[in-house]
Amino acid sequence: MASVLIVDDASFMRMMIKDILTKNDFEIAGEASNGQEAVDMYNELKPDLVTMDITMPEKDGVVALKEIQSNYPDAKIIMCSAMGQQSMVIDAIQAGAKDFIVKPFQADRVMDAINKVLG
Amino acid sequence: MSQEYLEVFIDESQEHLQTLNDNLMQLEKEPEDISIVGEIFRSAHTLKGMGATMGFEDLAHLTHSMENVLDLIRNEQLEVTSHVMDAVFESVDDLEEMILDISKGGDGKRDVGEAVKKLEVLQNGEEAEASSETAASVEEKPEPSASSQISESFDEYERTVLVQSVEQGYQPYIIEITLDENTMLKAARVYMVFEVLEDIGDIIKSTPSADDLEDEKFDSSFAVTVISTAEADELEQRIMKVSEITSVTIEEVNVDQASEAEKDNKKEDKKEGNESGADSSSQKKEKPAKQDNNNDKKESAGKKGSELNKTIRVNIDRLDVLMNLFEELVIDRGRLEQISNDLNNSELNETVERMSRISGDLQEIILNMRMMPVDQVFNRFPRMVRSLSKELGKQVSLDITGAETELDRTIIDEIGDPLVHLLRNSIDHGIEEPEEREAAGKPAQGTVLLRAYHSGNNVFIEIEDDGAGINKDKIIQKSLDNGVVTEEDLEKMTDQQIYGLLFASGFSTAEEITDISGRGVGLDVVRSTFESLGGTVTVDSEYGQGSLFSVQLPLTLSIIDVMLVEVGSEKYAVPLTAIVETAIVNKNEVYSAHNQKVIDFRGKVVPLVFLNDIFDVPAKNENENDFYSLVIVSKGDKIAGLVVDSLIGQHDIVLKSLGNYLSNVFAISGATILGDGQVALILDSNALIK
Repeated sequence: MASVLIVDDASFMRMMIKDILTKNDFEIAGEASNGQEAVDMYNELKPDLVTMDITMPEKDGVVALKEIQSNYPDAKIIMCSAMGQQSMVIDAIQAGAKDFIVKPFQADRVMDAINKVLG
Repeated sequence: MSQEYLEVFIDESQEHLQTLNDNLMQLEKEPEDISIVGEIFRSAHTLKGMGATMGFEDLAHLTHSMENVLDLIRNEQLEVTSHVMDAVFESVDDLEEMILDISKGGDGKRDVGEAVKKLEVLQNGEEAEASSETAASVEEKPEPSASSQISESFDEYERTVLVQSVEQGYQPYIIEITLDENTMLKAARVYMVFEVLEDIGDIIKSTPSADDLEDEKFDSSFAVTVISTAEADELEQRIMKVSEITSVTIEEVNVDQASEAEKDNKKEDKKEGNESGADSSSQKKEKPAKQDNNNDKKESAGKKGSELNKTIRVNIDRLDVLMNLFEELVIDRGRLEQISNDLNNSELNETVERMSRISGDLQEIILNMRMMPVDQVFNRFPRMVRSLSKELGKQVSLDITGAETELDRTIIDEIGDPLVHLLRNSIDHGIEEPEEREAAGKPAQGTVLLRAYHSGNNVFIEIEDDGAGINKDKIIQKSLDNGVVTEEDLEKMTDQQIYGLLFASGFSTAEEITDISGRGVGLDVVRSTFESLGGTVTVDSEYGQGSLFSVQLPLTLSIIDVMLVEVGSEKYAVPLTAIVETAIVNKNEVYSAHNQKVIDFRGKVVPLVFLNDIFDVPAKNENENDFYSLVIVSKGDKIAGLVVDSLIGQHDIVLKSLGNYLSNVFAISGATILGDGQVALILDSNALIK
């Protein structure tokens, strides 16, 4: 049972992902609502996987990704993006994101991405 | 979609709408401050994501268009003009309507065509032609990749590279990759494939070209030519690891064949080939890379984001139940205190005292839980005033003070609409047109002050404008015409009471009826709403100088701290928050001034209010002594001394309403049950201070 850290500034979105994950027997390591929290919580929890929103207050997802990757090059991070953020997604992948999912989320798409990254 | 999601969705959407409104107002004030735009953008963006997830397409569509415009502003390609702001504000209004509809159980559908069009006009502005061009080219482009067969032709340079790579032990492959048809952000997906391939080989060529892939100018499949030492199987597996890939077809390239096929063209191509080959090789290496660096700006804007507290959302009904249960407990506590006093058992006393202390803390928490700053209501007013003054062609500035003043949630929920009405009233009827103002020697811009503050057990909300004021004669004329009052009544009325006629039903003094306020159903509805909340509304005015509408609201406080006093054989409770101090004065220190008994108290003239006269309390047949017991109460900066027979002490009591039949008793705001089962009336000291 892999543990997942969910990062999104909208609790609505976190709830959505959490639901999908728990239905598929994942353990929720924690939830962070901005990039800084994500970095702190990653250091503390070392989850198997992170779902990282891109647009967030304090620190955006790409910056948080870079920080986490610099400390933990093996971190598995999936970016959550909305349409129209192509360049940021590419930026994130360049920086080491393993995959990305696009809002609106579809459960099977989310699971597909997660299984591929963990598999 | 489950109800649970919907609630969170609505709550968060409303928060984001508020952020949008606040920041847009801010932006209008400081159009140069681009960092605010980042904030606005983020809210719109989050709304878009949430809306799309919940399937509210119109909402997502509109926010998307907003985002495009905001992006231009952020990148300083579009100036923040009042025209732009109007369009954005209008879209926010649409969004509000949609969220409101959704919260009422609707499907959030709304015709956003017009708003979207306005935004698109802004967005396209100068680049209208350019974008239509790209749109056209996008539609043409998919064709080359439409054929599913892998066919790739190489120019001479490419062939040379292929031949050389074979000599060095690499195997060239042509890989056709098909993306899931639902794939969004195709370019990013392609990028991921490229990255995988570059990991184990080198990309020689792609069809469509890297640039077109980057611009998403392809349908769902594309072909890449790769040289690698890996087996085809491994390549396939690696590529399939990338999400949203439906199929991968790999073919080994037979270099000889490729050369054969191209041989005929060789000669003609030769010169050109070398040049263009060099060109295209540099292109090929280019990945669909990032397009703009402006995203970095987001970070700095992000720092302004508000700190997030950890909260849970609780249905207000539960808090109501908790409150009711606690009220019952407080009554029993009073009773218990009484009993333990009577029994005088030290252990019992100790326990009861402890219990009282804990329940006191508990009470504070419960009450605070229900309190919210009036800002919740006030924060939407600046927007409203802005659009209203534009509509009416008046210049109005709204000053809000005391937005942090707290009120019970249930009251907060109710006062929004009537306050809107009063504000509209002030702007519509109060503030004059700019020319008229200047003619009267006032600044062209009118000012409306919105104030909230605590006083006693009440919160006052005042709306003051520096407009035309109320024409008393007109009111008198009108109310006589409408039969609201008789001339006889009028003679006895003070100015304030006459102004108060504004709140009588069927009253509208505006010469022409606008749709802003004054449809004749206005102010009496406002009054009754406030009264149903246990509040009152009064108006004062100076003709030509402006008017002041003052709303008095109870703090809620169904449990309040009071001073119990005795008048005759009856007990009354005076809310502690209204009390300045208690005092005992000698009867010979009482003077008469203007038919009113007053005392000189700490250098101030304080009028006395004899409660036994006001409430017709039969006097106790006790020996009159030479002293008056006084409770000095205040309302704002006015004070008065309530004359009582004796002061009993401080108690926590539960405020109970007097019920529907006794809703309008002068100077009594409710009743309570004391520990010994007696009923005490709660004084509304504000009504006693003139």
